[in-house]
Amino acid sequence: MKAQADLSIEFCGVRFENPFCLSSSPVGNHAEMCARAYDAGWSGIVYKTIGLERSFNVVMPSPRLNTLNVFDKRFVGLQNAEQITDRPIKDNIKDLLWLKKNFPHKVLISSVMGYVDEDWAELAKMSEDAGADILELNFSCPQMAHKTAGYRTGQDFHAVEAFTEIVKKSCKIPVIAKMTPNITDMIPVALAAKRGGADAISAINTMRAITEIDINNFTPLPNIHGHSSPTGFSGPSVKPIAMRFVSELYNSKPLNLPVSAIGGIETWIDALHFLLLGATNLQVTTGIMRYGYRIVEDMIEGLSDFMIERNIQSLSEIIGKAAQKIVDPSEFNTRFQAISMVDEAKCIGCGQCYISCQDGANQAMIFDKISRKASVDEERCVGCMLCKHVCPVWDCITYKEVDTTKIRHAAIF
Amino acid sequence: MKKAIDTEKIKQFQSMREPLTLQAAIRESNRCLLCFDAPCSAGCPAGTDPGKFIRQIKFYNYKGAARTIRNHNILGSVCAFLCPVEKLCERACSVKALEDPINISGLQRFATEYGKHFQIEPLRKSEKNQGKIAIIGCGPAGVGCAAELAKMNYDVTIFEREDMAGGVPKWNIPEFRLPAEAIAYDVENLLSLGVDIRFNATIENNEAISMLLAEGYMAVFISTGLSVALKIDLFDNYINALDYISFLRSVKFDHNNIDLKNKNVAVIGGGSVAVDSAVSAKACGANKVYLISLEHLDELPADKGEIELAREMNITFKAGCQITDVNANEKIITGLKGMEVEWIKPENFSPSNVRKVEGTTFALNVDLVVQAIGTKPGYEISRFHKSLQTRGKGIIEVNDLFETNLEGVFAGGDVVNAGSTVVQAVGEGKKAALSIDNYLKNRENKA
Repeated sequence: MKAQADLSIEFCGVRFENPFCLSSSPVGNHAEMCARAYDAGWSGIVYKTIGLERSFNVVMPSPRLNTLNVFDKRFVGLQNAEQITDRPIKDNIKDLLWLKKNFPHKVLISSVMGYVDEDWAELAKMSEDAGADILELNFSCPQMAHKTAGYRTGQDFHAVEAFTEIVKKSCKIPVIAKMTPNITDMIPVALAAKRGGADAISAINTMRAITEIDINNFTPLPNIHGHSSPTGFSGPSVKPIAMRFVSELYNSKPLNLPVSAIGGIETWIDALHFLLLGATNLQVTTGIMRYGYRIVEDMIEGLSDFMIERNIQSLSEIIGKAAQKIVDPSEFNTRFQAISMVDEAKCIGCGQCYISCQDGANQAMIFDKISRKASVDEERCVGCMLCKHVCPVWDCITYKEVDTTKIRHAAIF
Repeated sequence: MKKAIDTEKIKQFQSMREPLTLQAAIRESNRCLLCFDAPCSAGCPAGTDPGKFIRQIKFYNYKGAARTIRNHNILGSVCAFLCPVEKLCERACSVKALEDPINISGLQRFATEYGKHFQIEPLRKSEKNQGKIAIIGCGPAGVGCAAELAKMNYDVTIFEREDMAGGVPKWNIPEFRLPAEAIAYDVENLLSLGVDIRFNATIENNEAISMLLAEGYMAVFISTGLSVALKIDLFDNYINALDYISFLRSVKFDHNNIDLKNKNVAVIGGGSVAVDSAVSAKACGANKVYLISLEHLDELPADKGEIELAREMNITFKAGCQITDVNANEKIITGLKGMEVEWIKPENFSPSNVRKVEGTTFALNVDLVVQAIGTKPGYEISRFHKSLQTRGKGIIEVNDLFETNLEGVFAGGDVVNAGSTVVQAVGEGKKAALSIDNYLKNRENKA
């Protein structure tokens, strides 16, 4: 029997068997889907956001998805014009009850969105009564552009604080405030949520974006009967932005709240990146929409093997380890300089490094047209490593520290 | 009407050679490393510049890709079907160091089809006239030379013995390997450049070249190719021993009169034309088809894909074998006797370099023999000019600039290189065109 590392975490005082959860979206739309997700290995589910029919009359647009494709690589990002649930509240509550009853050891998180104070209070109470372990407050849906709902709430510090406070007064279970990335600085909003009593922050919701224009009829996609809108963008493309926000939340001393990370997680390495930047809990949707619930198997196995290889007993040992290394660019130590080095035996002679260095860096690459081998002009190389990033042989070009007493002739950019 | 070529395997072979779909072309072009000083481009004898047209496909510039191919290689569509890419551009592909090389012929097919379908603007001749030039022979070398000269604003006339343009690809390459539309499209491009083709133009006069020069043609390019098949003495005087040129031509243009049902066919030779003949015989309903070659299986000069097709069509390979005797009923061959052979010296694949292996005698019942062992020039070269320098079986001698020993007379293609690929011939025609242009400019400067 293969060794299995302990992947459990504690988040908002609740134990999760592993950090992997469904984020609030169509992947957790009803009980039958959620049951299959639990069976696949996901430790927790943030159920698709519920609202009250008296406040939201949800009619989903169609089509409501479009992807970002980069050359032959499709689905690098996903744009959706989905809204909160369009199912009746009584059905969703029934599903929450059923899930808690049938999966008592799994974690059930109810995502809610109110319109007025009373909505938030009522939804919190209903969720708690239905067995939810935690509440997540949806302050961030890019498609719900009501004045006091959706991502505009998430841009309004006072609303976030006030709604969080109402929810906290209406129930006893822990509360996560879900942030929108459609804002310059997330910290003031997260602090507002904290003042309202939030126990944790989740980030990021999707980014308002336009993925593509149909060049035949000049209409942005998805083309919803002749119109479109900048709507929620997610997937691997937003991961770098999500990582930035997560690290800022983690590193904020006044905030000091646990973070649930969302944004482009598909593999155990993505998961590890977020843990290292300070996330305790992880949420996934786009990866599941693309590949199905089964991807959690590889996340669990991969992360477990990594922990065993590195002798890590608990994920708490590594959470935030990379976030500690984030500084302001002005604090970089530039006394250490390096140049690139080409392993001639591995060079296949395509010359991409030469083209990129010529046109995009410091003209420091030498390409021998006869032998078709690249080498580095050490006098000219500024160690930007553009060459390494374009090389089709991943380990051919490496980074070598050089005598720092030498003064560089020229600098890139 | 009975169709000669209708077997399932051939259909599969053809579909394998279908142009890549848009989706497949996008995927394939994105495997390309977009090399600096692309080795694939250096590997193309005609300078078709695959490195550039693949880049253009990757960046969604499909029409640009079609233009690159057509502007660099007037037989771009034909070459996309016929090129032995594994010996040329794909052999040079850098991706090979990591995985399978880029499917360059597939991408070339995609781009030419795209250009055809979306009707990129035709090539146009400019109004300027640099003078008249005569080309003898409308095969790949002649066409390559003509297009290049026309682009340099020369007034080009091609004299063609047959009634259609295209040379070897037109007459001797089976339809399943090269659809007629591909040749038609390339010839259409040639004609839009204003090149004049005179069909059924036999060169009868012994001083044809002098006459052309006297008629005001400033230079002559000879690209008459190799139009006569070599034959084996052993089969002299038998009426059912054909050469591959007449056999393939009959299959292509007169296939309703060919019925090989229940007949056994022996093809002698190991190159592409031998394999084409064997596959065509099978497709015409032959029972057993033998491919008898001195070369062993791993030495066959034919393209890999063709050999694969021949195997799938159950052609019997008698590789490393030689025919030693004929059984005949008067003028009709009824059977062949042969033996296995081995090379005396290594790396010399010539009939004089074999010795028979004792105890390997075999006998085959055959109803038709097709000889596909090589070709020679179809004209007595002296017809062109009595002092034109030749060697061997009438191969014209030229220097690096494709100049013959006669002032103003150039030659290229098979009649010079003694038999190579279509793409090589196009390349030689192009290079000769540049030489002709230089020669005429120098002459003008001197005058």
